[in-house]
Amino acid sequence: MSAAAAAGGQPKDAGLQPERTVLSWTRTAFAVAVNALLSLRAGFVAGEPALVAVGALLLAAAAAVVALAAVRRAQLSDVSPSAPPPRGALLSVTAATVVAAIAGVWSVLAVQGAAGAGGVPGAAS
Amino acid sequence: MREPTWRQEGEDPDYRFTLANERTFLAWIRTALALLAGGVLLHQLAPTLGPRVAVVILSVALGVAAAALSVLSYTRWRRNEIAIRTGRPLPFSRLLVVLAIVCAVTAGVLTVFLIVSDAVA
Repeated sequence: MSAAAAAGGQPKDAGLQPERTVLSWTRTAFAVAVNALLSLRAGFVAGEPALVAVGALLLAAAAAVVALAAVRRAQLSDVSPSAPPPRGALLSVTAATVVAAIAGVWSVLAVQGAAGAGGVPGAAS
Repeated sequence: MREPTWRQEGEDPDYRFTLANERTFLAWIRTALALLAGGVLLHQLAPTLGPRVAVVILSVALGVAAAALSVLSYTRWRRNEIAIRTGRPLPFSRLLVVLAIVCAVTAGVLTVFLIVSDAVA
């Protein structure tokens, strides 16, 4: 970067900051979707309709994160963006992750219970 | 949801800093989701790997670590945001050390399981 740009003008990658932030939201949506699919699979394998329901809920959460990415894209498309993330957005993503974690632990214990009852031969502990 | 009081504290910082903080939060959330997916996949797709009790404990531990990490990502984002707004140094965090230990223990245990199950087979 030249001294003039450093002293006065916009930094060179100023326009890419919003893009990286939006991409970060998109990647997070993918990560939520992967865990949603895992929860769905665990629900079908263990025969637990509640896990399937949580998986569907997490899939909706992934869609919501995609929507948040779109909102951020719109908010940050100004020349000089300064908008904070939508209120409660980060807290909601945190809550969705906690729900996914609970479903994950639950799926492990549920399948374990089924194996213990003779559901999966040779897998009983 | 009402505006949190800390959003009025200090002054609005350079947007690049708040965006970087937002991305850091999202990166931690993805790390938590990756740990969780690893635990669930380990349990569902590797039924012959290692003693089943140990695999279950490891999977549950990864799930619990993911839950704790997601909550910590949020509190960490909030603390950083306040520090940036008030011009204070970013708070020190042991999160990186803890995450490294979790990953090292997981990798170590799984490597032992892989070697042992291969020797048996």
